[in-house]
Amino acid sequence: MAVDTWEGLTGHDRHAACLVAAQAGNRRALDTLVVDLTPLVWHVARSQGLDRSSAEDVVQTVWLALLCKLGQVEHPKALAGWLITTTRREARRTKAAGYDRVAPVPTETLEDFPTPPAQTTPDTPEQVVLRDDRDRRLWGAFSRLSDRCQELLKLTVLAGRAQYEAVADALNMPRGSIGPTRGRCLDRLRELVGQEGGHRERRQRPGA
Amino acid sequence: MNAANGQERNPAEEDLLLLAELDVLFDKVDPMPADLVDRVRFAIALEDLDVEVARWVHAEERVGVRGPSPNTVTFTVEDLTIMVSLTPAGASCRFDGWLVPGGPHTVEIRVSGHPSTITSADSDGRFAADEVPRGTTQLVVHIVDDRGERSRTVVTPTLVS
Repeated sequence: MAVDTWEGLTGHDRHAACLVAAQAGNRRALDTLVVDLTPLVWHVARSQGLDRSSAEDVVQTVWLALLCKLGQVEHPKALAGWLITTTRREARRTKAAGYDRVAPVPTETLEDFPTPPAQTTPDTPEQVVLRDDRDRRLWGAFSRLSDRCQELLKLTVLAGRAQYEAVADALNMPRGSIGPTRGRCLDRLRELVGQEGGHRERRQRPGA
Repeated sequence: MNAANGQERNPAEEDLLLLAELDVLFDKVDPMPADLVDRVRFAIALEDLDVEVARWVHAEERVGVRGPSPNTVTFTVEDLTIMVSLTPAGASCRFDGWLVPGGPHTVEIRVSGHPSTITSADSDGRFAADEVPRGTTQLVVHIVDDRGERSRTVVTPTLVS
């Protein structure tokens, strides 16, 4: 059997190779995309404030939408960006229609660990409490970043680090400024992690 | 992992480490449902790629479907509404459905790990199927036009019966 064209590739090169193969009817290529990129779609949907059930349906709808548009994606390397944009649109549509009846879980509400998330998020029984001190401090610090920084870092991590273009387009930022902005967000995160250590002083969240 | 592309400076190693930590953390804080990838793979494993996606109409219905009692769920896409009532009976489930507007369309009930159940709606759009295996389920409606030919295919997200 021929070696898969995406074998050994990473990031958007891998996704582009999969997409081209999927367009030619290769189901395994499509499966590979689903496995690689469903975490991105999931977290983007959740970042829009959807409860877990609604997010699950949005994830499915987005992939079904890709299936319908498979032949029309002209720039395979832009796939992650397309998924981000489509997921946000679908999530907004779901929320606008009032489908999302269960209280959403904005990341900010998880700030006060070790409060069990179950207390504020009844729809997430499987959600783990962060027991590890480093995790708790890092999450506490992350939650105090500006929304813009949170989103930028989340998309950077989930879309793969090479995908500046997808992240820049999704955030309406000039591509060249992603790297420096991300650097500043990470610096700020380190600073906040330091503060999470002993005292938990409250400060105004910086504007996005 | 990948280095940054040519437009960007290479991120410092400590930045990459912190990003990797965040990567792990996001999944700890808000883990994807364990079966989500499998459900997506099932939902898109369709013969026909030219489909329209119907969406849930009421979120609260969804909760019920995942529970044990009989339930009615509604999906909609532009000009088609699919209502279906599920009555669990042991290891299987009875489906009573209604397509609006009605027509003698073909309804395929796909259940993960089982052969599809195929039934036809009558001219009023009503359809029924007995003894559908329970599990991750998706409805596929093949719409026939006035000449009786298949014209469009509408699919739903999966539900768990």
